[in-house]
Amino acid sequence: MNHVLQYIPGNSVIHRMNPVTKLLLTIIICVCAFMTDNLFFLLGLLAVDLMIGFVAGVAGRTLKIFRGLLMIAAFLFILQALLTRRGTPVFWIITDEGLMGAGRVVLRLIVVCMPLALVLAVTRISDLTNALVQHLHVPYQYAFTLATAIRFIPQFLEEMNGIMEAQTARGVAFDQARGLKKFSMILPLCAPLLISSVRRTDQTAVAAEVRGFRLRTRASAYRRYTFTALDAATFLFCALLLAGAILIR
Amino acid sequence: MIELDKVCFAYPAQGPTVQDLSFRIGDGEFVAILGANGAGKTTTVRLIDGLIKPTSGRVIIDGTDTASSRVSDRARRVGFLFQNPDRQICKNTVREEILFGLETVRGEEGAEALGHRADEVLQEFGFTGEEEPFSLSRGQRQRVALASILAVEPSVLILDEPTTGLDYRECCHIMDQIRTMNREKNVTVIMVCHDMEIVLDYASRALVMSGGRLLDDGPVPEIFRNSALMERASILPPQMIGLSLRLGRGFEDADTPESMADAILRRKKEG
Repeated sequence: MNHVLQYIPGNSVIHRMNPVTKLLLTIIICVCAFMTDNLFFLLGLLAVDLMIGFVAGVAGRTLKIFRGLLMIAAFLFILQALLTRRGTPVFWIITDEGLMGAGRVVLRLIVVCMPLALVLAVTRISDLTNALVQHLHVPYQYAFTLATAIRFIPQFLEEMNGIMEAQTARGVAFDQARGLKKFSMILPLCAPLLISSVRRTDQTAVAAEVRGFRLRTRASAYRRYTFTALDAATFLFCALLLAGAILIR
Repeated sequence: MIELDKVCFAYPAQGPTVQDLSFRIGDGEFVAILGANGAGKTTTVRLIDGLIKPTSGRVIIDGTDTASSRVSDRARRVGFLFQNPDRQICKNTVREEILFGLETVRGEEGAEALGHRADEVLQEFGFTGEEEPFSLSRGQRQRVALASILAVEPSVLILDEPTTGLDYRECCHIMDQIRTMNREKNVTVIMVCHDMEIVLDYASRALVMSGGRLLDDGPVPEIFRNSALMERASILPPQMIGLSLRLGRGFEDADTPESMADAILRRKKEG
């Protein structure tokens, strides 16, 4: 099954970058998004996000993530616009400051979430883990925990879909309910999901243990993740972004 | 009556999983769907219950097209036992679990009648009702899932690899209960199964699939005796049938240890 966080194989410049560089670029975009209040700069960051997706050759996935975030953003925008009281009213209880603030919040949300999802689409989890251990000296156990947590997200979604399917076959009207009603029907199913998750985690832990998990050190990885001119150019781009965010605050 | 008419199905961004599938299953039949991994067996049973809709063709259950009706509305008539019982179990005790299924589809009958029905099923399956489902063994959990489905008294029972991961005794327990429902209450059973011994013992008709297509459809012993078909579908026939095929003439009907012993004695007498 094709999930939003699933790796898409490719040979684009983004794919070829060192995983640490990709992670750094992601973090810098997030930091910049939180440093600036300038709507145009945030729009520029959004353009950078979209450009990364297109250059990586994962345009379909990029637009899918963008569409998904837009739906959440629309809800947040309405909420934020309705709840802000400061500023001059422009329509009913909605003020100009409310609209601007809501715009900033949703743009920031999209700008921050997109590269986080995209970095997983263009980087193998194992590469990310190994690079973190190799270059940032993150203990392997922690890197493995992070990688496993990410890897489990689509599995949990699949499990939840399986549980909903099984309950629908028993007559629970998941195929008829929408919105809050559907959400209230999902809540009781958290028990089987939790139990299957704990079982799966336990099995993974045992499987890792019997394969000598604790024996692994930084030197164990056979792949080397070197930095190239491409990475240097990306570092420069990151520095420019950061400088821009500081200047246009 | 279940009817599949030129059914095709493909998962998004994948090739066709099921192609041009047409067959009919009458009331009270016990049908096994056989084939190697990836043959399209599970997709076929999911299509029959309407969990997925065909990309082309029609699936009709008792005159209703599954494309125009909802799965949850069909749950009263069609029960589906999944390979993983943990996806079905969601309550804290076996009694609550059985009542959950009953309340969902037979809620109009009232608490007293449903409680009575739950007690009947608990007795039938040998549960006290107070057991915590998630503390039971896998086989027992599979039986809890089956009990909660059979409590509803569906007219069609779909089983997706119901005996996977169960020991021989647990297998027999579950399959005997299914056979009882099939024989005594005329429940139609459609079973996906990799255990050919179980298929030979319990099913009367087999549908053989390969690469998403139906290769053959017929009585179980006849299907197993077709060596070319078995090879094409990557299926190893049950041991007794394999042995009788190797022994050749005079052993054509020997598909159980008893009939094999009879055939050997017969040959011995004949000299």
